[in-house]
Amino acid sequence: MAATPRSEARAGLKLISPTAIYVIVLLALPLATVLVYSMMTGGRGNVSLPLTIANYAELWSKPVYGYILLKSLLVALSVTFITVVLAYPVAYFVSFHVKPDRKSLWLFLITIPFWTSYIIRVSLWFVILGYDGILDKALMSLGIMNTQLNFSSYGIPAIIFVLAHAYAPFAVLPIFVSLEKVDRSLLEAGQDLGESRWVTFLRVTLPLSMPGVIAAALIVFIPTVGDYVTPKLVGDGREPMIANFIETALLKLRNYPQGSAFAVVSMLMVGIVSVVFVLLNRRFIGGSK
Amino acid sequence: MTYSDDRATMIEFKDVHKYYGDYHALRGINGTIKAGEFFSLLGPSGCGKTTLLRTIAGFEDISSGVIMIDGKDMAGVAANARPTNMVFQSYAIFPHMSVAENVGFGLRKDPRSKEEKARAVAEALEMVGLKGYGNRAAHALSGGQRQRVALARALILKPKVLLLDEPLSALDKKMREHMQVELIKLQRQVGITFILVTHDQEEALVMSDRIAVMFEGEIAQLADPETLYRRPATKKVADFIGTMNFVPATILSETGNAVEVDAKGLGRVMLDIDQAPAKAGESPVVGLRPETLTLLYDDQKAPERETDGVIDEVIYFGDMTYYDVYLGGTDVEVRLSMRNVPGRPVLDVGEKVRVAWSPSALVLFR
Repeated sequence: MAATPRSEARAGLKLISPTAIYVIVLLALPLATVLVYSMMTGGRGNVSLPLTIANYAELWSKPVYGYILLKSLLVALSVTFITVVLAYPVAYFVSFHVKPDRKSLWLFLITIPFWTSYIIRVSLWFVILGYDGILDKALMSLGIMNTQLNFSSYGIPAIIFVLAHAYAPFAVLPIFVSLEKVDRSLLEAGQDLGESRWVTFLRVTLPLSMPGVIAAALIVFIPTVGDYVTPKLVGDGREPMIANFIETALLKLRNYPQGSAFAVVSMLMVGIVSVVFVLLNRRFIGGSK
Repeated sequence: MTYSDDRATMIEFKDVHKYYGDYHALRGINGTIKAGEFFSLLGPSGCGKTTLLRTIAGFEDISSGVIMIDGKDMAGVAANARPTNMVFQSYAIFPHMSVAENVGFGLRKDPRSKEEKARAVAEALEMVGLKGYGNRAAHALSGGQRQRVALARALILKPKVLLLDEPLSALDKKMREHMQVELIKLQRQVGITFILVTHDQEEALVMSDRIAVMFEGEIAQLADPETLYRRPATKKVADFIGTMNFVPATILSETGNAVEVDAKGLGRVMLDIDQAPAKAGESPVVGLRPETLTLLYDDQKAPERETDGVIDEVIYFGDMTYYDVYLGGTDVEVRLSMRNVPGRPVLDVGEKVRVAWSPSALVLFR
């Protein structure tokens, strides 16, 4: 019996249903809930209608929120920039200078820090960066400093430092993959056509690895905007980020509408920056489909 | 043949060796390549032909010896400073650039104005038959077009030597034959020394002024295509180039300019000394090409010598028929090729035939 269009459509729906249900229940519904909550009023765990944009209006009217948003954005962008800039040479080294049969070992070693809980890793930074920690002792014994630096109390710089370290492996992997895909004969061609190794890198390797760089930037940027553990632990919690505000609003004040509005705004911000990254990526791939 | 001895030397190899660890990839390469010559490095995979090409380009260092290009020792000269350009086997077209950007890649340091460079790029594209393709994305090109871009990109820099690393191997048969002719024309037009690496003996014969046949890191023979085909220096070269029948033989006598042999199935024959290169070691065999053997029909007479035979196998090719024939009641089998002309029937297996041959077409390997 020939399949009618309708029976085909039914079969198709059946086939995609597990994925569809997953997406609807676990992604679309929570997102919709947050969107609706952000336009309600309430507090102390209650929400009530009617829908209003009062929460957004409040965010807009008080400069402190704008400041927090901007600070979170700048911290996340700095972390992204530093991470990618530091990860690139590592990825380049593994891709170009490690023997092929050793590459997987190197990647494995790079991912080892992930085996420990993030909280533990952040705590370990205190041992190194904290008051009278390894860094302070080293600086003082070398005579570079004569009092404790206590870098971990340096608010934003310390947060950026710890986050950049935490996300480094995430950045190494996509860059590594894109470098692996660069046809090595292209580099020989670059030199054959009269360019030095460095110029060949700038004209050939770097543009061809940009998709990996953009992917790395996105992978680092998106979670760092929403990170609230690091600002809490590092810098003595004196530099709260947007995620800390969301946490406070949702979990401490139980003001769901306000917290949701925060969340939506921060999502929008991430979305806009991501779109910029994706557009940049398109440009670098050069119109290929 | 456009090659002549009085041309200037472009490349000179003096006892070039290359080791990869313990592996001896190039074992004492000597020879010269003349200016304006279409030169081929021919050999099976792993014979060192690509390695030799890459040492010319500067992508591989040599372990010992000297490579001179246009009178200059290339030791310590980086690839980007050599007067050579390469067409890579994979073409190595930059996928993130347009066709014009690819072709103009090497012009960055060229002092000419932007407009002049653009004109040069357009001219180079026109030369390789890609007029008006400049704005296309490089990754949207077909294999043949990529190769033309690679050619234009190399030739626009007016190198003294153009290196081609198996440039036709990725193309289908029709396209390959077409590009062979185009490359020959292009080479005559620009007059640059072309060095082609290929494992395809037919391609080498068609395109080259001279060919170096390489086995296991050594040049087995360096000669023009006709010499290589008619007078191969060793049995191995003979076997690699075209089809060659080998007939066991015994050497009866040897004087200063002639060798008398008894070839199984063919009988006694006097060979001129240039048909018998003195390279002792193997048990002597006489080589003869399929097209130098002819079947005699009815009362045709052989111009020189003839031998009886029995057809063992018939391979029909349309324009040609190959016959495998046992010679003179022996177990020696030779392959011969006959053109299928009207009025000449294709014979059957088992038929008794007469085979005509010429002593001057024989080569002795010993």
